[in-house]
Amino acid sequence: MSAPRRAADSAAHPTRIAHLDRDRSLVEAAQRDPLRFDALYRRYLAQVYSFAFYELGDHHEAEDATERTFLAALANLGGFEERARPADGEGASTFRVWLFQIARNSIAHQRRGRRRHPEAPLEAAALVADPLDIEGGAAIKDEAAAAWRAVGRLPADRRRALVLRFVEEMSTAEIAGILGRSEGAVRVLIHRGLRSVARDLTSRRGTRLDEGAPSAAMSPAAETREP
Amino acid sequence: MTLDRDAGSTDALLTDLYLDALLAGAVLEAAATGSPDGPAARIDPAARQAADRLRRDLVRVHPSFRFEERLATRLAEAAVGLRLPLAAGGDERVVPLRGRPTTEPDPSVGPLDGDTPRPFDAGGPGVAADGRRGDAAEPTIGPDRRVAARPFLIGGALTSAALSIAGAAIVAWRLGRPGRSNSPMVRAARAVRESRLAAVGDVNSRRHD
Repeated sequence: MSAPRRAADSAAHPTRIAHLDRDRSLVEAAQRDPLRFDALYRRYLAQVYSFAFYELGDHHEAEDATERTFLAALANLGGFEERARPADGEGASTFRVWLFQIARNSIAHQRRGRRRHPEAPLEAAALVADPLDIEGGAAIKDEAAAAWRAVGRLPADRRRALVLRFVEEMSTAEIAGILGRSEGAVRVLIHRGLRSVARDLTSRRGTRLDEGAPSAAMSPAAETREP
Repeated sequence: MTLDRDAGSTDALLTDLYLDALLAGAVLEAAATGSPDGPAARIDPAARQAADRLRRDLVRVHPSFRFEERLATRLAEAAVGLRLPLAAGGDERVVPLRGRPTTEPDPSVGPLDGDTPRPFDAGGPGVAADGRRGDAAEPTIGPDRRVAARPFLIGGALTSAALSIAGAAIVAWRLGRPGRSNSPMVRAARAVRESRLAAVGDVNSRRHD
């Protein structure tokens, strides 16, 4: 595609990450007084941690990435700019998009460190079962583990888009802002991801969890990008 | 090819609409009322089942309470560190130091031997960038002198060496120490000191007269 055509396309379909920011008052308060950042931290801790956990598959690494994310966000909060437009409506948060962009970089940094010091891949079923296991026992939810394995086998971009859509319940516009894609591209990523998961679940239906499940499901997926 | 792409985009859009409804809980309500209309009826049933399954099984993972509080403490410490500069004047402006405008260049602060005179040196103090001289001209600092006349930032508060106690202490120390420096700062301070001593000498001599 030629450069003018690309420019025209991007002008016609700009990445729309701006919504009326529900965090505006908290962000402004934290910019005036950094101690007020605590409210933003409490609001988004679980989301950032969860995203890191689904990406890295390890609680300790997820904690490291989460810590790095929030420290970087606090240090750079003065540079955050609200891009909300009233016409975009309510519900989403440009601060959340900005925060997840930082999280994505922190996770990539964590993953690079892991490549330098490779660890044994973790068992996906146990990882998924752990947060679900309210009783603290060892019961494994077979279906949940199977679903997560199917997601874990996806290419990185599809997996990331599905996790942001289903776990974080983000809009397509927010995911587009985080992944640096157009909304249309994100829709296609999610659509293809869902079809892949559907095929995977159908083909593996009836097989036991501990039979033939690749232990690399939670290993760093190939950093491939969809065309 | 184009038709395929358009069809794919349409399918992706329908799936997106379905997911919006699913995540908002509208799909469950529609199923409860027995009216599965809208995008749900038009997307691939396998993809729809996968979406339902992922919505149920991909749960949000919470960190431990201990980690949450430890990170909160660390953030609070970092916030205090960020707060101190703000309290000491986070919106400070850098004010260039001004020398006393004089009409005659002071030879004691002139270029050192071997220095190549530059336009600013040729004009001397009190010469504006546009060539104006004297009182009408705002005393300016050339690009080279701007570095030498850079103000100090001590404890977050903007001050100048000529006014602050710390600056006075530094100047006194540098004047008094053996092996006198010939840096522009010291030469400027030395020139001011000598001119003040000369002025005091003049006053005293007039009194005696």
